[in-house]
Amino acid sequence: MVCEASSHPHCLELFEKLSEYIDDELAPTERRAIEAHVAGCVACLACLQTLRRTVALCRTGGDHPVPEEFSRRLYSALSTLPRDPA
Amino acid sequence: MTESQPPNRPAIHDSDTELIQAVNFGQVDLLPELVRRYEQRLYTFGRRMCGNPADAEDLVQETFLNVLRYLKDFRYETKFKNWLYRVAASTCLKQRRKSKFAPERQESLEALGIEVAADAVPRWAQMPLEKLLNEELAQTLQNAIHSLPKAYRLVVVLRDMEGFSTQETARILTISDANVKVRLHRARLFLREKLKGYFNHGL
Repeated sequence: MVCEASSHPHCLELFEKLSEYIDDELAPTERRAIEAHVAGCVACLACLQTLRRTVALCRTGGDHPVPEEFSRRLYSALSTLPRDPA
Repeated sequence: MTESQPPNRPAIHDSDTELIQAVNFGQVDLLPELVRRYEQRLYTFGRRMCGNPADAEDLVQETFLNVLRYLKDFRYETKFKNWLYRVAASTCLKQRRKSKFAPERQESLEALGIEVAADAVPRWAQMPLEKLLNEELAQTLQNAIHSLPKAYRLVVVLRDMEGFSTQETARILTISDANVKVRLHRARLFLREKLKGYFNHGL
């Protein structure tokens, strides 16, 4: 699984850091290097934007409601358990 | 499930501390309160990790049983919530699927890569997020997440869906920060390829 622009060593090097860039986990110099590169490389910009959008979509998921029947069974199972003293 | 951490780490006091201490001092009548606080979060985590609701229910029940089994070993050196997820992740890694028709996925992403040349930023990465969201997309993303190997799925679920930091995820999974970052990047690339396939047909 590689970047669309991976045939270029510089693109590949930056590509490996795109997730850290999105997560704001890079040092300022590395951040600036990526920003300068994507300003002139459409392939890497496309990589960055599609990856950023993928992360955003993952973060939109809401809760799955707990089924009532399962919840009843869970409380029942835990309430009947013997427990070792602390 | 004893915490393996450096000695003399300061104890953490959070909104769960008094409840956990009380349960550990024998007030087992408070257990339902512990379940009430976390069953929703754990069930959602279970649905994100498991391909079907029955497996998610098994994961939640087994996690709470393991919590009760190991709670006396909890040393208050991390948030209880993070310790709970550590138990859940460990339980998940040991869990076998209920459905015999759902074999475990391969543990490597190498064979799953797809390369498509891009000469522009695609529309789906530029449109307002709310215009993209629909049931079909949510299901596509869910299916893609479920087709990730567990080691990668756990990282992307904890980081991008449950909201844990890199450091918290590393401690929950007892792996290095660097390993979390590598797995997360690869998992995101895999999901991106699946979404590209969906949008190439839909937009």
